[in-house]
Amino acid sequence: MATTNATIDLASDITDSSLAVSNTTELNTAGTTTGVNTMTSVTKVLSSTNQVDLIATGSVSTTHAYVYINNPSEDETQYFNITIGNAGAGSPTDTEEIGRLYAGDWMWFPWDVDDDICVTPSTSDDMTIEYMVFS
Amino acid sequence: MATTATLTLASTDIAGDPVNVSKVATLTKAGSTNDLDQSTGLNRVHLRSTSNKVLLAANAEGDNLAAKVYIINKSDDASLYVTVTINAQTIGKLYGGDFLFIPWSQTDTDADIEVAATNWTSSTGDIPVEYALFHEDTDFLTNA
Repeated sequence: MATTNATIDLASDITDSSLAVSNTTELNTAGTTTGVNTMTSVTKVLSSTNQVDLIATGSVSTTHAYVYINNPSEDETQYFNITIGNAGAGSPTDTEEIGRLYAGDWMWFPWDVDDDICVTPSTSDDMTIEYMVFS
Repeated sequence: MATTATLTLASTDIAGDPVNVSKVATLTKAGSTNDLDQSTGLNRVHLRSTSNKVLLAANAEGDNLAAKVYIINKSDDASLYVTVTINAQTIGKLYGGDFLFIPWSQTDTDADIEVAATNWTSSTGDIPVEYALFHEDTDFLTNA
């Protein structure tokens, strides 16, 4: 099995005493110390404000995965609404919005592969979105 | 007042060639280049409940504003996990050592971020969880 590490470093001087956090985790299959062995890396360009099914549950064969999504835009007006749920036939009411991924932002989270991950671009300009899935 | 978040993904053997991804984000207010200027700081709780507990309470005033959430399961036991949900929608399971870093839209007051020590028992011991929220808006208060 492969060895894959994810490291997060947070640095903030918002508070008077600055915050510095650094943690590394090894990406393992659910509840084990066995490393994940599958990786998908995709870049897409979206050109409308329609909701898009970005990562479907059918694309992963496990019940535990790690997801990285990046908005590489440098235009602060370009963001993606990130939602999770069953988008089924253009029914966004079935999804829960996680948050908005603004220009330059990334997100990282474990995914239980129960529901699809969907995105809605803020503009109809060409907007690039990048994602990786480890499972 | 700047806050940066850096993610590094590295593997020498998950693909034919080494994987090394590093991305830095400077956390800004919604739709602007101004830095986020508020934070809960780093918090630590010990979970000992299999039912959902509110970690961060949503405030509808936070809708359409920028907020970032960091949560880590500090357990050393790889089998102990914390289930993370938003408005009863499961996002995923943080196993021992795992973390998440996500944007958080509070579309309504039901969009609380909740956690549960789903496979906790009295013999497993508590699951330590650390978290932090970075956000904007003076009226955006949380239970942290």
